[in-house]
Amino acid sequence: MTKPTDVSVENPFEPTEPPESYFVPAADVYETADGLTLLAEMPGVKPDGLTVTVEENVLVLRGDPAAADEAGELLLKEFEVGPFYRAFRLPADYDTQKIDAKLKQGLLTLHLPKSERLKPRRIEVTVDE
Amino acid sequence: MALVPYRGRTMPATTLSSLRDEMNDLFSRFWTSATEPFGLAEWSPSLDVSETDEAVVVHAEIPGIDPKELDISVVGDTLTIRGEKGDEAEQSGRTYHRVERRYGSFTRSLVLPAAVEPDQVTATAKQGVLEIRLPKSQESRAKRIEVTGA
Repeated sequence: MTKPTDVSVENPFEPTEPPESYFVPAADVYETADGLTLLAEMPGVKPDGLTVTVEENVLVLRGDPAAADEAGELLLKEFEVGPFYRAFRLPADYDTQKIDAKLKQGLLTLHLPKSERLKPRRIEVTVDE
Repeated sequence: MALVPYRGRTMPATTLSSLRDEMNDLFSRFWTSATEPFGLAEWSPSLDVSETDEAVVVHAEIPGIDPKELDISVVGDTLTIRGEKGDEAEQSGRTYHRVERRYGSFTRSLVLPAAVEPDQVTATAKQGVLEIRLPKSQESRAKRIEVTGA
């Protein structure tokens, strides 16, 4: 069994059909007493353009931003609009059935609760007299 | 005889001056990092600026920033966007495995390519993309001039 500290969060992981070209969203991953939280920046992605899948402990995020109306003459271009894609390998300690995903202002917040079997439990000792 | 620059004439001078140039270059690169084009703080939003006949349109990527926290102003021909990306990373009880998002306050100023009507500037934020629309003033709108033939 892997310890919670052994969270291996893999960088772009190949399978599960990434788009032909994509941006890798910047992500923060942290662990608290009750689970794992992942924040990923996907500006321009609406909830209906986002898919989050978990398959064999690989979490895949894909976001397709709505096309921006680029009218007129472009004077400065510092960012481009395109699909976001990223995959993370999850440790077995999290309950992937209970992932909670929120998308607000282009920031995806995923929360994975710790499996019930890993939560510390106090075992009452009954004294049999 | 052709004039030969002093530096090129003798080996020691060439080596020393190129070393000096390299050191100067190193220091100048150290102080002005390529990631800070305006000598600003560690993070500032990326901008796209486009111009149509009627308006100047600025798009900025601000994922995770509450639009209410932004301060947008137009003074003369300069647009300034100020804001702060809250540093959540400081909270205790968290074990971080990855910190890639960048936090901090930022200020970005932009000299507009045309005079605008400051009273009619609108800003909307959707899905972490800010759009600032600055309608051009009457004077700066393109006018088509008809050529009359005799």
